[in-house]
Amino acid sequence: MIRKEPRLYYRVFVWSGTLRLFHWTLAFSTFILILTGIYIHYPPITTKWAEFKPLYIMATLRYWHFAAGYFFICALAVRFYLFFAGNQYERPTDFLPINKRNLKSLIHNIKFYLYLTDEHECRMGHTVLAGTIYFVLFICGVIMGLTGLYLLYPETPLIAKAGHQLFGTPQQARLIHYLLNWFFIFFIMVHLYIAVWNDFNAPDAIISGAFSGSKMMPADLECPIEELEKIPFEK
Amino acid sequence: MGKKGHEIELAGGGVSRRTFLKGCAIAAATLGLSPEVVPRMVKAAMSPKRPPVIWLHFQECTGCSEALLRAARPDIATLILDLISLDYHETLMAAAGKQAEENLHNAVNKNVGKFICVVEGGIPTKDGGIYCKIGGKTAMEILNEVAPKAKAIIAIGTCGAFGGVQAAKPNPTGAVGVQDLIKGRPIINIPGCPPNPENFLATVVQILTYGRPPELDELGRPKFAYGRKIHDHCERRPHFDEGRFVERFGDPGHKKGYCLYKVGCKGPVTYSNCSVERFCNIGAWPVGAGHGCIGCTEPGFWDTMTPIYKHLPGIYIPVGGGIREQAEEIGKVAVGGAAAVIAAHAAVGIGKKIFSLRCSTEKKEEK
Repeated sequence: MIRKEPRLYYRVFVWSGTLRLFHWTLAFSTFILILTGIYIHYPPITTKWAEFKPLYIMATLRYWHFAAGYFFICALAVRFYLFFAGNQYERPTDFLPINKRNLKSLIHNIKFYLYLTDEHECRMGHTVLAGTIYFVLFICGVIMGLTGLYLLYPETPLIAKAGHQLFGTPQQARLIHYLLNWFFIFFIMVHLYIAVWNDFNAPDAIISGAFSGSKMMPADLECPIEELEKIPFEK
Repeated sequence: MGKKGHEIELAGGGVSRRTFLKGCAIAAATLGLSPEVVPRMVKAAMSPKRPPVIWLHFQECTGCSEALLRAARPDIATLILDLISLDYHETLMAAAGKQAEENLHNAVNKNVGKFICVVEGGIPTKDGGIYCKIGGKTAMEILNEVAPKAKAIIAIGTCGAFGGVQAAKPNPTGAVGVQDLIKGRPIINIPGCPPNPENFLATVVQILTYGRPPELDELGRPKFAYGRKIHDHCERRPHFDEGRFVERFGDPGHKKGYCLYKVGCKGPVTYSNCSVERFCNIGAWPVGAGHGCIGCTEPGFWDTMTPIYKHLPGIYIPVGGGIREQAEEIGKVAVGGAAAVIAAHAAVGIGKKIFSLRCSTEKKEEK
């Protein structure tokens, strides 16, 4: 059965190239960080064959972990820059529940995801629920980056001093680093599920938006889209 | 001639010049100094004005003193007779009772600003410090009386430096290390359970030679001894890089000398020179003997480094009267829970869609 959407949609450009670059750098680096990190935390039994062939496996995976870590930190730096210099949808004022409009939107989002309402909120930027969780993720990412640097360079005077003040001994930093890793795994699971779920239940086309930077907006919705690139999708 | 150092000591008392020079050279090597400073050290150590040392014992097991007594280079005789003037040490001194109290009083007041105060053991602070009393005085009183008059304070052992085992949660006596109570005097922490006596001796010789304490890290530990991780100089490190791990104590990997990372070695997060200096003059140390490092030189190691045979500490969950869960299990449970919630959410969505489809077809049929 084909369901026809009775509305006219515009394809609206929302996410800048820099933001998409940030998104995919973060995504790939996180993926590598989690896989190598799990190996580093609990290496599976490789001793049977490690005896026969020099693999240097722990050293290599640690090297990838550190390299991916640098990409991760760079991605966070880009996002931090966009908090201030990004377009209006990339700034925290647009997606954090700090005013009445956003708070109302947050409650509506929660209802929508709990199947309590079918009415999808067509919004130009992040929905407030997503934006808030992304912001928490950003903070967790910063903590991951800092504990990671502390664990990697614990002898560098400046890092050692800051690390001791913020996290205590390297062992305590290691525990934080490890526990937050599970938050990232948890986030990825939910994020992918919600993205797919949204593609079924909402007309925004957010998966393709992660590549193209655009969102589908109903033409009859009163949105301040004049200043944005407006491409008619259907005539 | 023909007699070995210890034979001369046993026969005639005192220490041979050779043994003494050896002691100074080893102290210089431990400090990472060039052999050129050895003559200077010898001169400082031989000066008739040996620095008085007052050794205080509080909440401790005397293990640090025991370790020092078994130091092979320089041995305790060299230390006491030639390097320092050990004026007060509760385990080693002959005096007792009132006489001992008098000795302490005299030693402190005769050498104000000149003596080195060594503190072994944690100091209880709860309920006015009544949990450790010597001669009717609390440990806090004794410390406050002695320490501010010292030239420098050396906190030997993890208890003296960070509070140690009695400061482990829930810390019933409110035990703390010296650095938490005394301010304004240089404090050098030599943590370890027990610490390597060579690190202590090298610190003393450094103070003697240069008149100032060695360079310290964030936690007040001398950098020459606590500047690098055990892991960095570990003899099993190649096995770590290669991915060869002991899975269980006594398994073939353990017999082959593989890395002890998976059986809870804390070498990667512990700062000490154990893997370089070794112990007892025979090159022995825990990891060499097949047991992982327990991280005894780090503050709060009883809380953060336990369980000893796991990487990471357990997390306290206040559920069901309090259970300690391993960090790993928490993560797995959280992610498993998320997966279950996602599955349930998707099932509800699909169910709802099927239901609404059926409704709409029924409506059409009605029409």
